[in-house]
Amino acid sequence: MTENTRNRLTAIAVALPALILAKVFAASASEPGLPQLDIATWPSQLFWLVVLFGAGYLVMAKIVTPRIGAVLEERRQTVDDDLEKARAASADAAKIRADYESDLEKARIEAAEFAKQAAMEATKKAEAADAKVAQKLSNKVAKAEAKLAEAQASAMANLNDVAAEAAMAAVASLAGIKVSGAQARKTASSIATKLAKRETN
Amino acid sequence: MSNSEGMHSPVEQFEIKPLVELSLGGYDVSFTNSSLFMLLAIGVSAIFLISAMRRADMVPGRMQGMAEMMYEFVAEMVRSNVGSQGRPYFPFIFTLFVFLLFGNMLGLIPYSYTFTSQIIVTFAMAAFVFVGVTVIALFKHGLHFFSFFVPAGAPKVLIPFLIVIEVISYFVRPVSLSVRLFANMLAGHTMLKVFAGLAVMISGAGGLAMAGSLLPFLALIGLTGLEVLVAALQAYVFTILTCMYLNDALHLH
Repeated sequence: MTENTRNRLTAIAVALPALILAKVFAASASEPGLPQLDIATWPSQLFWLVVLFGAGYLVMAKIVTPRIGAVLEERRQTVDDDLEKARAASADAAKIRADYESDLEKARIEAAEFAKQAAMEATKKAEAADAKVAQKLSNKVAKAEAKLAEAQASAMANLNDVAAEAAMAAVASLAGIKVSGAQARKTASSIATKLAKRETN
Repeated sequence: MSNSEGMHSPVEQFEIKPLVELSLGGYDVSFTNSSLFMLLAIGVSAIFLISAMRRADMVPGRMQGMAEMMYEFVAEMVRSNVGSQGRPYFPFIFTLFVFLLFGNMLGLIPYSYTFTSQIIVTFAMAAFVFVGVTVIALFKHGLHFFSFFVPAGAPKVLIPFLIVIEVISYFVRPVSLSVRLFANMLAGHTMLKVFAGLAVMISGAGGLAMAGSLLPFLALIGLTGLEVLVAALQAYVFTILTCMYLNDALHLH
């Protein structure tokens, strides 16, 4: 209740009864008057007010208010304790959760490390296998090249023979000159050597 | 509002009737209807509060809840209006509130008596509060208490007038405190009696006119509700003003 409302309520509470009070006083003017104003009754009222209010004060101060106060205090204490317990439990739970999360994080890091290592190993293995295969292949290629060179050389030699024979036959048919096989072959190979020399030049 | 046949005066309900004649040192201290309802107010409230707290459960039941609510209500009033220094006076203020609340409420029961409608009772309580509060202030602040009547920061020329006003307003406190409660109770109960008397008078006319008595009767129902509010409100107002006076005494302002 604000100060203002309280003042207004008080004003109403005073003004309204005052109005009626005035009427009552006016109405009872001819009568003996308000019983409240009969001072003969005052000593008795004051006496019993003091006695009974005093007794009431003792009952309230010695029995009622300490008892209610103790109950409220005890309840406050219990609620505080329970709140404290709840707070501790909550802190424990938070700690457990943090532990769990750090464990999880550790496991995740470990797993990532492991995966990385595995990948590296696999790459290494694959590289080794690759190298082996490459080696094998290059050996095969070299062998094949050697064979090819050999074949080429023999083919070249055969070619001289063929050329000599062809030249012999050509000379025989064109000029009617009979050339010995050895001569022809010698000439052919010299020509071939010259040609090869020119080619290299 | 005439005192015609069968019709009681609306203020007759306030008459003090001795139940047990007693005298002490030449004074008449008879146990009266007023005393009986003072006893009932204390007795009923004490029995209610003690029996409600008998089991003192951690989780309060309905009765215990009400008792605790009353305690907390007054405790909060003292805490917010007086502060921690008001603690020693809490039992007195609690007794005051309970005494007035139960006195006012019991007084609303038909054929009962409202001792708070007696100016001498309300004035005695207000005077006790006034004297008590003044003694507390003098005890606590000594002569410095009189600075209470000098408003701070007022122009020097106005100070004599202001002191006069402050002193008057201080000494009017017990009067306004007691008259407010007394007048509310007197007026409320008189009004109830007037309307009740009107209803009875009209119904006494007989025939169709009897239906007319319904009007004051309905008004009476509304007024009774209003009086319940006034009974609680006036107990609260008396108590909270006591707290404020106590606060002035403890802290000056």
